[in-house]
Amino acid sequence: MSPARPPFVVTQDLAKTYLVGDVQVAALAGVSITVEEGRFVAVTGASGSGKSTLLNLLGGLDTPTAGTIEVGGALVSGMDRETLARYRRLSAGMIFQSFNLIASRTALENVELPLLFAGVDKRERRVRAAELLDQVGLAHRAGHRPTELSGGEQQRVAVARALANGPRLLLADEPTGNLDSRTSREIVGLLAGLNRGRNLTVVMVSHEEGLVREFAHEVLRLRDGRLAGTEASS
Amino acid sequence: MRFSDAVDFARTSLGKRRLRTFLTASGVMIGIGALVSMISFGKGMQKNVTRAFRSSDLFTTLMVMPGGAETPGRNAPGEDPDDRPRPAAKDAGRPEAILDDAAVAAIAKIPGVAMAYPDIGFPAMVGLGQGGGEFRLIQVVPAAVVATQARKIKWGRGYGGDAEEGVVVSQAFLRRFKVTDPAAAVGQKIRITTVSLDLGRLATLNLGSILAGETSPVAQESYEFPILGIIGAEAFGEEGSLAPSGVMIPPGPAKGIKRLPFSSVWDLFRVQGGRMGYSAVTVKLGSLRDLDPVRDEVRTMGFATFALADQFDQITKAFTIMDMVLAAVGMIAIVVAALGIVNTMVMSILERYREIGVMKAVGASDGDIRRIFFFESGAIGFLGGVAGCALGWVTSLVINRVVDFYLARQGVPAVAYFAFPVWIFLGAVAFAIVVSLVSGIYPARRAARVDPVVALRHD
Repeated sequence: MSPARPPFVVTQDLAKTYLVGDVQVAALAGVSITVEEGRFVAVTGASGSGKSTLLNLLGGLDTPTAGTIEVGGALVSGMDRETLARYRRLSAGMIFQSFNLIASRTALENVELPLLFAGVDKRERRVRAAELLDQVGLAHRAGHRPTELSGGEQQRVAVARALANGPRLLLADEPTGNLDSRTSREIVGLLAGLNRGRNLTVVMVSHEEGLVREFAHEVLRLRDGRLAGTEASS
Repeated sequence: MRFSDAVDFARTSLGKRRLRTFLTASGVMIGIGALVSMISFGKGMQKNVTRAFRSSDLFTTLMVMPGGAETPGRNAPGEDPDDRPRPAAKDAGRPEAILDDAAVAAIAKIPGVAMAYPDIGFPAMVGLGQGGGEFRLIQVVPAAVVATQARKIKWGRGYGGDAEEGVVVSQAFLRRFKVTDPAAAVGQKIRITTVSLDLGRLATLNLGSILAGETSPVAQESYEFPILGIIGAEAFGEEGSLAPSGVMIPPGPAKGIKRLPFSSVWDLFRVQGGRMGYSAVTVKLGSLRDLDPVRDEVRTMGFATFALADQFDQITKAFTIMDMVLAAVGMIAIVVAALGIVNTMVMSILERYREIGVMKAVGASDGDIRRIFFFESGAIGFLGGVAGCALGWVTSLVINRVVDFYLARQGVPAVAYFAFPVWIFLGAVAFAIVVSLVSGIYPARRAARVDPVVALRHD
């Protein structure tokens, strides 16, 4: 049995309501979870169950309607816009299903972006971005633009970008949604490797039960915006 | 985010959309070009008029007229100069000082006066060659005065002395007689025909028949004088300050011309005790500093004065107003360009909506996004401003050439109608950047407010 780890991500009665026309739609309703530091946690659930909303809230892209979020002891749910931007820049890296790379910039320049917004000097930026691309096996593709890269390569670039400022939390929103099964396995394997090698806390939204069971330590199941169950995996 | 990175972002982004950047910057370019042309034209006019005043010594010229002011001092701003040349009404039986030779001599002795001479003119029919004549005022101008403006005599020379038999005419005067080669006109004779009272005949005539128009005591006399020199035409009429009527004659030969002792009916109102005096005396000052003391002295002598230097402040104000009006016309183009920038930047936000979301997701703050769009606006302004300066400069040169070409056919020498002090260019570029930044405020704020979650879902 593995030793107890300190909680790293804690949510209490987390709720998010959207106004669609005149109708209030609850995307999340009273979700309380705890993710221990250095764990690889998968979030699964049917479409519309609130997985991506949960991830956006954890990543500081969105703010909750009610409840609290704590990451690494910092109260994310109480942050103002400027502090949230800083949190996204330094503390929580995110990758997405559609990669979200900037098409007009090379792989290296995409990885540089978080460093640029952190005010890192251009020369140092280049060095650090190149190292990160090397770590994800894409040193030879540094000068290529996203359209010149395969889906798997684009997702690797996105992973390198998410790690640029050395966050302790990596959030992945269906990172394998646009990839074939072999590449999906490679990407999730890469995330698992980072989780182990860097003691990185990973929260990944995924539909792929097989991969989830193979790589995640824990699986959170959401249904209709509520936590339907938690189960330990591998 | 560093300053250099924001500049780099702007460069990359604008470079990616070259056509749109070019078109938007072209709007700024046209606006700034118009503004530069307008302001440089206003400045050019001001410069030329000031130069014309200086070259004609108008700043150091004081006109003295009968009808004195009781209180010495400067003319009040806005005072109507027409109040002075007219003969003053004789009020309260107080005799008015007469502007005669004695007065001219007294004025000439005032410290600071370089020269004083009466403005004498007489009407005459002037002819050149075989053609008919035309009615002109012949000005009697001393040789010394002509000598001070000798540089304006482009062909021939001024008269050697006050007794020399000859005239100096203007190029404009010759043009009236279809003379296209002024050099060939030097030495030709002009014919001056005057009217005078035949006093011998007057004694023999019956007053009743004169009043009935049956008989006339008026006699006509014709004289011929060689053209000694010709004053060249100037773009801003500088030649007119020396010889506004176009024909000058020295005092010596003028005395030998029989003529009526007045040039206008107004002159008759100056007659006092059988003496008329001069209608005006021109006083040339040693320097502008002498203006106030000389004027005060002349006024204490009982004469009215008029100095163009006093009016120059009003002229300067008029030029400032003209500059503002011209700038306002140019501003219309700038406002249109500013709307173009707003439109381009808003379009850019819509196109880059997802990109903004990505930048926010990886840590860009609202301020970073605002700065990126702000710098893009500023860069458009900078490019348009620099290009606009070049456009304004080139356009002005072309217009100047066209005007010069047209006026050269009328014998007017080439003149720079536009002035380009460095501050116009620096100010125009700075203004273009400021206008662009102001235009970028709304788009930049709108971009900064983009919700990253919504933007990342955007196709």
